[in-house]
Amino acid sequence: MTVRQYQKKEALLKVSNVSLRYDCLVLRDISFEIDDIIREGVTQGQIVSLIGRSGIGKTCLFRILAGLIKPTTGTVLIDHDQHPVRAGDVGVVYQNYILFNHRTIYDNLRISLERSQTPPGGSIDAVIKEYAAEFSLTEHLKKYPQQLSGGQRQRVSIIQQVLNGNRFVLLDEPFSGLDAIMVDKVKQLLVKIANMHEDNTFVIVSHNIDHSLAISDSAFIIAKEEGKEGAVVKESINLIDMGFAWDPDVIRQQEFIDFCASIKDKI
Amino acid sequence: MAIQEFFSPLKVISKRTFFILAFVEGVMALLIWQLTAGELIPTPARVATAIIGILGTDYFYSNLVQSLALIAEGMGISIAIALLVAYLSLIPVFKPIAEFVIKCRYLTLTGLIFFFTLITSNGHNLKLSLLVFGIVPFFVTSLLSVIDSINVQEYEMCRTLRMNSWRALLEVVIIGRFDLVLEVIRQNFAIAWIMITAVEGISMSEGGLGTMLIKSNKFINIDNAFAILTIVFLFGIFFDYLLGVIRGWLFPYTKLQLLS
Ligand SMILES: Nc1ncnc2c1ncn2[C@@H]1O[C@H](COP(=O)(O)OP(=O)(O)OP(=O)(O)O)[C@@H](O)[C@H]1O
Ligand SMILES: [Mg+2]
Repeated sequence: MTVRQYQKKEALLKVSNVSLRYDCLVLRDISFEIDDIIREGVTQGQIVSLIGRSGIGKTCLFRILAGLIKPTTGTVLIDHDQHPVRAGDVGVVYQNYILFNHRTIYDNLRISLERSQTPPGGSIDAVIKEYAAEFSLTEHLKKYPQQLSGGQRQRVSIIQQVLNGNRFVLLDEPFSGLDAIMVDKVKQLLVKIANMHEDNTFVIVSHNIDHSLAISDSAFIIAKEEGKEGAVVKESINLIDMGFAWDPDVIRQQEFIDFCASIKDKI
Repeated sequence: MAIQEFFSPLKVISKRTFFILAFVEGVMALLIWQLTAGELIPTPARVATAIIGILGTDYFYSNLVQSLALIAEGMGISIAIALLVAYLSLIPVFKPIAEFVIKCRYLTLTGLIFFFTLITSNGHNLKLSLLVFGIVPFFVTSLLSVIDSINVQEYEMCRTLRMNSWRALLEVVIIGRFDLVLEVIRQNFAIAWIMITAVEGISMSEGGLGTMLIKSNKFINIDNAFAILTIVFLFGIFFDYLLGVIRGWLFPYTKLQLLS
């Protein structure tokens, strides 16, 4: 357990009183805030976990955060200027790693890079090759998504959303269906990309509490209150203050394991 | 492979085994046909002789060209109309029109022949409009089911990549599903091929395989009728195969879908 020095600056994402009603109330009154974390001498992105039981409304919240559906009430403000979120502000990596199946991996990445708001320096070709090399996809660039394994598709999907210039990326169940070694790789990948830019912010929705919390700096537990309809944020957790953040080996520490077990009782 | 494996359900067999099975069963079918055929039904040997006879006449080729030209024209027009209706169905105002078109499958052509005869100027246009009217509803039905089966997440991905709805339509529906459009064309080509002989029977002035068929029946030349039927059948299978090959060649990723 290592407590680290940091500061929380302005809000990068602010969710206020969001509710969502379909046939019944799915989300009741969700409010939380993700702040820019500043650390002396390091580029520090943000990784946040959303934790909740199956069917509680995580995916619904997800689509609200991405600006894909409008909440019944409430607002989602994003970025330094805190504007209401629009589709395109936030990248989404779905559980089933949706890609354009009729395009090669190269073209999937190219189409995203061409639409980027903040084109990176260098030619499109060079950037794609650079990322492909970085994330062991070079030999797959000419293949079609269906020729890739689930884990490879997921990497493409994450890079696709990052190349699009999105500082915010939401990931739905990024660890499901992967073997233990792949889970570690994806965790490393997420940490690496998150820390490429000060504003980079990843929001992870996962059933796998241990892995998700191990790379997060904060977490929000979404659950129903007894006797009431609709999910709320039941607890906010600051993992930095608890000494669990920014430590790849935290998952092997007994205190962390006990902590994760206590979370499981709360959801 | 033991014989009993050919009879157990869900058994996976190799392509070669399939062809052997198909060949053996084909030969058996021909044998049964040969042995049971009599006065009314011509034997395979007689049909084969008739086919060779027909293939040797100019009369056949001019009729074949006639049919091929008509089907090419009919398919071209039908595909254009069907694609337009299907793509437009994604724009709310056009949705009811598309829904109406697919319900037109239940309109019987026989009842419309008279109407079409009145509004078309000649036999060619009559055949063409019957053909198009007959195919389009089926085409649109298949196309809409392709569009329906698109995962909303794919549109959402386009939106997260900051595409507007027109660009998403182009990327996901038009470009992304073009291979399936070809598959729909292949499946519906069969309907067109069957209909062509029917409409050529209605308006016989231009000739065509359908006209040949009707004339053979009229003169009770059963051998010839069977021969033409067989030729029409074989052509259909050939087109089916050809369209499949073209699809695999144009869209290499479609073969992957079959594997996984
Ligand atoms: N379009 C919709 N119309 C009506 N109800 C919906 C709709 N989408 C989701 N729901 C309901 O909202 C609730 C939350 O669904 P959601 O998919 O967000 O759950 P989840 O927390 O993501 O679950 P899981 O972890 O199993 O993916 C469910 O009870 C679901 O039935
Ligand atoms: Mg979900």
